[in-house]
This record gives sequence, C-alpha cells and structure tokens, in this order.
Amino acid sequence: MQDPHTKSFLQRELLARQTRRHFLQSGSLGLGALTLASLLSRDTPALGATATPFAARSPHFSAKVKNVILLSMSGGPSHLDLFDYKPELVKRDGEDCPPSLMEGKPFAFTGSSAKLLGTPQVFAQHGQSGAWLSAALPQLAQVADELTFIKSLVTDQFNHGPAELLLYTGIPRTAGRPSFGSWVTYGLGSENSDLPSFIVFVSGGSLPSVGKAGWGNGFLPSVYQGVQCRTGGDPVLYLSNPEGMSRPLRRIGLDALGDLNELQAQRSGDAETATRIAQYELAFRMQAVVPEVMDLSAEPPELLADYGAEAGAASFANNCLLARRLVEKGVRFVQLYDWGWDFHGTNPNEDLRENLIKRCTQMDRPVAALIRDLKRRGLLESTLVVWMGEFGRTPFREGRTAGGGYLGRDHHPFSNTMFMAGGGLRPGTTLGATDELGFFVTEDAVGPHDVQATILHLLGLDHTRLTHHFQGRDYRLTDVSGQVIQKVLA
Amino acid sequence: MHASTLALVAAILAIASLHARALEPADSRELARQARQVLSSRCFQCHGPDDAAREAELRLDDRQAALAELPSGSRAVVPGDLDASALLERVTSQDPQHRMPPPKVGAALTATEVGVLREWIGQGAQYATHWAYVAPVRPALPAVTDPAWTVNGVDQFILARLDREGLKPAPPADRATILRRVALDLTGLPPTVNEMRRFGADDSPGAYERAVDAQLAKPSFGERWAALWLDLARYGDSQGYIHDPPRTIWRWRDWLIRALNDNMPYDRLSIEMLAGDLLANATASRRIATGFHRNTTNNTEGGANSEEYRHASVVDRVNTTMQVWMGTTIGCAQCHNHKYDPFTQKEYFQLFAIFNNTEDANSEPPILETARIGQEEAFVAVRALLDETRRLLDEESARTDPGLASWEASVDRAALPKEIVEVLDVAADKRSQDQTAKLLAHYRGLSPAWSARNAEVARLQAELERVSTTTLVMKEGPLRPTHVAVRGNYRNLGDVVEPGLPAALDPPTAGARLDRLALAEWLVDRRNPLTARVAVNRLWQEIFGVGIVETAEDFGNQGEPPVHPELLDWLATEYQGLDWDTKALLKLMVMSATYCQSSHTNAELAARDPYNRLLARGPRVRLSAEAVRDQALQVSGLLSAKLYGPPVHPPQPLNGLAAAFGASTDWETSHGDDRYRRALYTLWRRNLPYASMLAFDAPERSVCSVRRIRSNTPLQALVTLNDPVFVEAAQALARRILSEGGTSAESRAEFAFCQVLLRAPQPVETQRMVMLLEQARHALAEDAGNALTLATKPLGPLPSDVDAVEAAAWTVVGNVLLNLDETLSKP
Repeated sequence: MQDPHTKSFLQRELLARQTRRHFLQSGSLGLGALTLASLLSRDTPALGATATPFAARSPHFSAKVKNVILLSMSGGPSHLDLFDYKPELVKRDGEDCPPSLMEGKPFAFTGSSAKLLGTPQVFAQHGQSGAWLSAALPQLAQVADELTFIKSLVTDQFNHGPAELLLYTGIPRTAGRPSFGSWVTYGLGSENSDLPSFIVFVSGGSLPSVGKAGWGNGFLPSVYQGVQCRTGGDPVLYLSNPEGMSRPLRRIGLDALGDLNELQAQRSGDAETATRIAQYELAFRMQAVVPEVMDLSAEPPELLADYGAEAGAASFANNCLLARRLVEKGVRFVQLYDWGWDFHGTNPNEDLRENLIKRCTQMDRPVAALIRDLKRRGLLESTLVVWMGEFGRTPFREGRTAGGGYLGRDHHPFSNTMFMAGGGLRPGTTLGATDELGFFVTEDAVGPHDVQATILHLLGLDHTRLTHHFQGRDYRLTDVSGQVIQKVLA
Repeated sequence: MHASTLALVAAILAIASLHARALEPADSRELARQARQVLSSRCFQCHGPDDAAREAELRLDDRQAALAELPSGSRAVVPGDLDASALLERVTSQDPQHRMPPPKVGAALTATEVGVLREWIGQGAQYATHWAYVAPVRPALPAVTDPAWTVNGVDQFILARLDREGLKPAPPADRATILRRVALDLTGLPPTVNEMRRFGADDSPGAYERAVDAQLAKPSFGERWAALWLDLARYGDSQGYIHDPPRTIWRWRDWLIRALNDNMPYDRLSIEMLAGDLLANATASRRIATGFHRNTTNNTEGGANSEEYRHASVVDRVNTTMQVWMGTTIGCAQCHNHKYDPFTQKEYFQLFAIFNNTEDANSEPPILETARIGQEEAFVAVRALLDETRRLLDEESARTDPGLASWEASVDRAALPKEIVEVLDVAADKRSQDQTAKLLAHYRGLSPAWSARNAEVARLQAELERVSTTTLVMKEGPLRPTHVAVRGNYRNLGDVVEPGLPAALDPPTAGARLDRLALAEWLVDRRNPLTARVAVNRLWQEIFGVGIVETAEDFGNQGEPPVHPELLDWLATEYQGLDWDTKALLKLMVMSATYCQSSHTNAELAARDPYNRLLARGPRVRLSAEAVRDQALQVSGLLSAKLYGPPVHPPQPLNGLAAAFGASTDWETSHGDDRYRRALYTLWRRNLPYASMLAFDAPERSVCSVRRIRSNTPLQALVTLNDPVFVEAAQALARRILSEGGTSAESRAEFAFCQVLLRAPQPVETQRMVMLLEQARHALAEDAGNALTLATKPLGPLPSDVDAVEAAAWTVVGNVLLNLDETLSKP
C-alpha cells in the first residue's frame, strides 16, 4: 500500500494499540483480554450471509478464466453494418422486404411492410481467420484472430428494457432478480479483499436501459450488489472523507470508533459488532486503494494513446483501461455499459453511414487496445472479454424513418452478432450463420441463457448448480433453460 | 484445529441440534410433517403435484398415489413394510444409475433424512396436510418452570421451549435500553431525551405500559409501519422500465400512514387496499386505498406492446396478493403446476381472472383527483369555486367572441403586439388553431370582465394544486375473458377459465361471480388458514428480528417450518380475537418479558443459538435503512416532523447520467424542511433508487418484498461516515453540544452520548471521547481553513460565538457517535 497515512498508521498502530489497550484495561470497566482479533476469529455467520462473503471460493469445476470484462453496448448495435456481411442484401437494397418474413412478427417501429437496406459500410476480411468486419472497425480488424464470433444470437425481446433485463438478470422483467455479476461474485467471491468484486462503469451519458437492475443484487444479500464506479466525483459513492477531514484525522476518529465498539462488543457479545469493526477498517483501506487504482496518470502515454484514454477524463476508453487495472487487481466481474447504439435513423447521429463510423471510433480503438493489453500482460488467458448488445437490427429500414434522409434500422430479435476473447475459447473462429438477408439464424442458434451458461462455464460454474434458494425454490441466472455453447470452447 | 474453525463447527452443531431436536417425533403428525418435508425438498420436483414434470408416473405428495402399484410392478411406499417399499431401496442405493434422486438432480439423502422416511414408513406412512393449509386452532398455554417470569402468553410459549432446551431467559434490559428499543421498533425513531428522563424517573406501576402506549399514539408510528408496506406494495414515484418517467401516487402512501395511525383493523385495511372501489360506499379514501395494486410498473418504451405489460401487471398483482396475505409462492404456478405446493396452473389463472378486468392497461389512468390530507374542505370549496368561475368565464367568452370580426376590421394595428399583427396578416380561414387561439385570447383580454374572470381561474387553479393531487386507482372495466397462458406466455393462450380460489386452501363455495372484493373478504375470513399467521409473523419479524417462520415469503412445503409453531397459532388466533387490532397485537409483543430481556449474550449462548431463534435474550439487530437516516437527523435536531405530502429530494451525489431515453437522474436538493424529512418521503425512482437506502438493504421495489436480508458491508460504513446527510447531522450535533452541553469537555461528551444513545456513558467511554476530542483539536488547530469547512459544509455558517476548531473537533466526535455499532443497532 502506497498511502503514507496508512503506512504510518500501521507503524503507529502497534504502539497506539498497546497504549490504548493499556488505557482501556485501566479504565473503569477493566477490560479483559478481548481483542479485535479474538472477536473476529469467532467467524459466526451473519444472517443470510457469511462473515466473509467475498472469500475466494472454489468453482464447481476447473475454471478456464478467473475474471470477466463484459462490454455491454446499450441500444443494440447493428450487426449487419459491423459484422454480419450480406452481399445479397446490398444487391436487393431498396426492394420490398418479403412479406413472408415479416408476417406476424412484432417490430417496435415498423408495420407489416418495409424496404430492404443493404449496408452502406464497406466490408473486408481480416487476419488468418478471414473474419468479415466493416470499415467502421479498423482496430478490431487488427485483433480479429483473437476473437470468437457468434453470428447466431437470438432473443425473444424487441424492446430495450426487457431485452437487457433478459441478458443481464435472466428474465425480461424488473422482477427483483440478481444481476449477472452478482451471481458470479456470489458463486466465486473475490480475490481482492480491498476492492468490491463486481464493478460497473457507465459511459455515453445515460444509464443503460436495464437501469440499476443490471447490477442489483435482487434477492441475494446486498453485499453482492455491483458497485457503480463513477468517472467524476467519488469513484465509489461516499468514498471521500468530508471536506476538511484529512486522512490522519479520519484515522484518529476510526481509532476511537474501534475502541468504543470494542467496549460495546464486550458488553453485548454480539458477533455482528466485530464484523462491523472489520468493515470500517476495510472501508478505510478502500479509501486508499480505490483512488489509486482509478488513477490513470501513472500509465505510460503510449498506452493511454493506444486506448484513446486520457487521465481524469470520463469515457468508454478510460473505462476499458480501468477494467484492465481492476482485473489485474483481482476484481472478479467488471461490466462496462456504453450508451448510444440505437441507430433508428431519426436524426443525423443515428445515421448508419458516417455517424456509425464516428460512433465506432469511441469503441473500436479501446476494445482492441484492451485485448492487446491483456494479451501482452498474460492476462487474456485468465480473463474473458465479452462484447454484446441486447438485440440486432432489422435488414430493412425502420418504418418511421424509411422516407427520411437518415439510414436507420429497427430492433431485431431474430439475429444478432457478439464476440468474445480470452481463455478457454477457440480464437479466430465464428459460430453460426444467418440467411442471405441476415433475417433469421440458419445454424447454431443460441439465446441469452446459452451465452450466460457459457460464460459461467468458463468461470468454472455449472449454471444449473449456481442457485439460490428463495421463495421455496432454487433460482438461477439462466432461469429454466440454457445450454453451454460447446462449439466455441477450446 | 484452528480456533475459528472450532467456533464455526460449534455453531453448525448448534444449528443442527435445533433441528435434530425437532426430529424426535412427538407424534405421528409430527412424523408426517417431517416426512413431507424430506419428500418435498428431495422428491417433489419430479414426483410432486406437477403432472407435467412427473417421472415414472410416481407421485409422492398424495398417499393414495404413493401407495399405488407402479408400471414397473413395484410400490414406492408399502406402509409398515420397509423391505417392500421401493422408495427406501432407491434412496439408499449405491448404484448411481439406480439411486434417487439421480446425481444430476441432487445429492444423496442424508442419514437423517433416510431415518425419517424409514421411521415414517415403519409407522404406517401417514400423510398430514401441510400445517399451513390447516386453519390455526388456539393452543392451550403450556406449563413453564417459572410462571413468575411471564407477563403474557408470548412468554409462556417462549419459556416452555427454553425449559425444554435447558436454557434460562436473560435478565431484563435496563430502562434506558428498553425505552430506546421499543421507540425504535414502534416509531422508527429513538425516544427524546425528555421522554427518557420522564421514564427513568417514573417508578410507579405501569410506567412501561404507559411508555408503550405513548409510542403507539405518535404520528411517527404510522410513518414507520408505512415504510414496511412500501416494500410490500413495491411503491415507487416512477413508472419503471427504461424511461422511468415520474408517477404521482404519493397520496396512497399518505392514506396508508393515516390508516396505520388510526389503527384501521387489518381486515378492513386489506379489503380497502384490494377492493375499496368495489365497496358499497366507495368513498374517495377507499378508492385511494386501491393504489396498493396500482404500484405495478408500466413500460412506456416506444413500440412496447401494452397487452404484454398489462398482462405482466396482472401477474404481479396475483403474486403480490398471495405473497402479502398468504405467504405463498403461487407465482411458480404461472408457467406450470406448482412443483411443491398444491396449486395448479389453472388455479393460478383463476386468480388471474379476478384481477383481469381493471381499466388500466400499461397506463397511468385511471387516476383520481383528490384532496391532500387536511385539505378536504378546502379542496371541495376550491373545486366548486373553480368549476363555477370557469362556467362564468365561458359565458363571458360567449358574450365577447361575436365581436371579434368587427374588432378585427376596425382595430389600429400599430397599437397591437407584433405577434398579434402577424396573426392578423394571415387570412381568417388560413389561420392555424394556435394562431386563432392566440388572437382570441388577446381579444378577450381587452374585456375587463373577461380578464378578471380569467385571472380568477388561474388563481383558483394554483390554489387547487396546493390543496389537492392526483393518484392512481383501480377501476373495473368490462369483463375480459381469461385464458390459461401456456408456459406463462401472454401470446400463447390456452383454455378459458372462470375466477376461482385454490381448492387446497379450502375456500367457501362462492355464489356470485368472484371479484376482488370477494377475494379480499375470503383472505380475511377467519377460516382462512394463512392470513392471520402470515400477518403476525411479519409483525414478529419486525419486532424480534426474524420471523417465527423465517421464510416470511414462503409458508409452503419448501418454506422453513415455524420455530415456535404453537406460538404462531396462538398469536394468529389472538389477532383474530382482537378483531385484527394491530396496535394491540404489537403491544402484546413488546410488553412481553421475552421482548424486555437484555440482548447481551455470551460465547456459549451465541454458539448454541447464533440467530437468537429461541429468544433466550432480547433482539439486537441493525436498524433499517430508514431508521439509520431518521435517527441521525432526530438526535442532531434536524429532523422535520412534517407528515405527508409529495416526495422530497434530500442531498444525493450528482450522477451525471440520464435515464435511458429519459430525463436526468440528478435532482435539485429540496430546501427548508423538505431537506430533513423522514426517509420514506424520499423520491423513489425505480431505475436508480436513493443510494444510501440500497446500501442498507432496502429493496429496489420493482416487485413485492416481504423480508429484507440484513448485510454488514464497508459501503455502509462509507455512507454513515461520509454521506453529506450524515456529515450535516454530525455538524448540527456539534453545535447542540456546544450550546447545550455545559462547558467542560466531560460534560459535553456526556451530553453528546446521551443525545445519541439515550444512556449515560460509562466513565471509560467519556474518557475515550475526550481523548478523541483532544486529538482532533490538535490535528485541526494546525489548519484553520479545514476546520471551518469541516464544521460548516454543508450545514452553513457557524453562530458568531462559536470557534471553528472547536465546532470541527466536536463534529469529528459527533461523526464517531453516529457511527457506533450501538447507534446503528437496536439495543
């Protein structure tokens, strides 16, 4: 620990404790030999949680990765303009979409007829693997051989909120279910006792559609709540001491608090008091460790440039670099929500030509840099990077904007692309395919529960056994379905 | 073995012994209960009530079926014949291919579980209905070793169990402790120092009872218990899902506070919340009460299918009703027959049919305009006056308007505002609606009589807003046919069903069509086996920290059995006998000797009964999220006593984010009193609830929550150490200390301690506080600027006679006091 106050505190602590112990022993209560250590060693579980809820726990079976970085592109990026190249769709651009495809299917903003829209983006194949990527993703193109694509993703939700709820809580309702990261930390604990084990960043100026439910603990104990780190102000809520209170002064206060709490513990005999004493000490350590890990100023300028990050700024690029720093410290689950992928064509910002390229520059560079950086440090083997959005986009122009000047697509639950990189996968491969128009999945269809089951599997968790007993039954992230996608595994 | 491991093992053994004792069969009924518990948790998933999931045609939740010959020719259960019972052979088999449950489904049965089944089959394999589905029968009070210790029936049951366990009750808590405990429990706030003084000085008989009565009579009682109902009702000031737009339904919350303060009997309260609109005399108050089920979320996202979210709301209403009143998890039967409890999917949709006819469809309307509490007469008067003035204004308009054409022809345009000239430049038949309205308004305004009326309407409109609000209500519309939704999918509709009640709960045969009112009446019918038990268990959970049934949300086969079954039934029948008088029932609990015990424990007892289920000591648990905040404001003198009203915005850190597709999630902090209101008045945005509340285990309130799981985390420490709300409270406390606490450091420390903890400090505690004060002074004296900031931000400038270093040093002391474990806990 670099913090001078902590350091001097630790040295002072031994002396001061002895002095205070002496003080307390000579006090009118005549305290016995009850020490914090002896209180803590009692290890009585708190109600509904263990006293050490974040102690690293063994997975169900041998894990391929220890940590996950989940990149959640909020709004539903267009797979047809980024990954899933459809020359036939380009050829038939402007034709009526075959009614048989649309019949009986609900679309958010399109009726029963629509015009097909070929991608305005230029596609090319990249790397040894020959992965198709659009020109909007030049940096990802350079790491294409590290990526495992799934081009056969389907969902049954065509609205943002429910679709993200399904991906990140397992059911498409605000139903008080734990979030993905909460399940993982509940299952595996943390490898770092000074940092939260599930950390969330939000970029793009807006909360994701899933809202706080995306990192809520649901019915799990609230220790498993994701902690939303902020890029402005305190990175963790209320981390800073009140203005005017220095760290040494906080230490002085916490010493008194500890002593008075020990007296209380002595009287009440309640093990929760000892746990609370320990939590205040952990909070004090977090006050030193969190700002340090969040501070990018010590990173080499070349690396910052590679990510497109800037110390002190608030951006998705910064969040990507922070994600690497956090998994390096043993944080189990880092989730980055990035707002602004809902390209309907209702305004110039939602146009699939130049503006998609512009939007991608804020994502493409940092994600590619993250993968390179993890690989360079040997962390990619033990980390899983997942990139996905809540649904795909229609092969036709969105109903409201079809006559307008901006090219946009509607929400499309029937096909979508995602990619992963990291341990336990077959890099440079693609699973699944869609039809010639990119409308339906034609092989190896997988749904949100399958993706969840697969990510859990790579973490060494059996999704059917990662359960919590609540309201008379065992709940799990994958609800009542989910199959591990064996074909993407190494 | 390491000491901590030893302690853990001791704790586990203690828990095991609590249950092991329960496994000594008292009678065949108890044996049947235990056997059902084993079968339910280990076998029903594939061999239970759900015929769709049933394997090998074997059903074990029904005696006749369990004894029947199976297709294989064998019988699972042959009463009295262990060797012939295939069940025993399968659960004890060492062959993984043959063993039940299959390794993929679950682990092998434990020796204890096999023992229960062996004993049960040996004694005839008698089945008993699950205890919770049989109406409670009032048990006799058990004999106890020390009748003098008992105050009321509660104590008889608790002591009888302690006697059996060989445990003794703890000594009574001291007076300061018990008053602080009971005030926090009943009102969510600590007592005032004056109350404590009066109580401490009152040696006459009945002093404690009078103190309890005084707490029950406070308006803060209703606020404290309303907070519990906000969890049950999944209350929020926003509509949910992505835009999470605002919702105005706080008048329902105010109705609730008043009803609880008026001690509305629980049966009445229930009927009004579920079906107040269907009562013969559906007053505004009763219609407001139905807001309980209008707290469901709406999805306003573009393109969202209204029927999908209407269906989801009805599902939520069925599940919430059954959770809150029946403690059942019938929600499981939405997609398939319940796997553990006797509810079919058809029965689920029969309940659904009862709720399926209200007008709302993923929409805020129907809404009711109504008076704010205390403004009932003003509302009626203003509303009438406004309507009349509007009528007169319309008359005036009718008189004025015909002159418009001739005015237009003759008016001097140079004297007119530019925007009116612009309208006049457009030919009369070419003008837009807006333009016409603008012109008309200008022309009418030229008439003094019209202008006066118009101003009066505006004034009355503003006055109306001050005395009234709107709120969401339930309203029946045309009957909708209800279908079983196949696998719970609203688009995959199966058979049509009529409204009905689950057969297993022995409902009366209904004559007329079942509606919400009939359902509500059945729920509070004295023959209903669950309602009273579930209600008293919830109250018990609040008072004693854990319910008699720990799984307050599940009284079914998969729930925990009650730790004091007879006490639960005694309390349930007592509640009914008291005509559902909630304050009387709470009084019974807090008057008991059990409640008044000291909460201090020792290592031996803590190991024997770590969760204090047996109550050989008083309850000691961390305060609720609401109480943590409210107490800090109260002891520092900041708390506003204002009741009711629109939600408020206490300080919260800037988030800098918008809701998805929505408005900013940040708010402007409320001024004046509204900055310091009790926690339950804080605006509750479902997508981003108030952060410090979540840190202290408040649920997000997207769905009904009947039990908060208490946690103990560093993030909580950061809230009470650094959240400006708590810093401000420490600053206010410091100023009180300096003005009211005498002049010496010792007297001030004692004063501070008494303010926060309502007891005198031990000398050692005073000394430690004074030591802290001196250290803080020393640290702050070097930096006057920091001292001033620490003493004033955010509370504001210091009084002129107060020294900044002194105020800051006492702020440090106040901050420590507000963070003491004792402060954050019920004593």
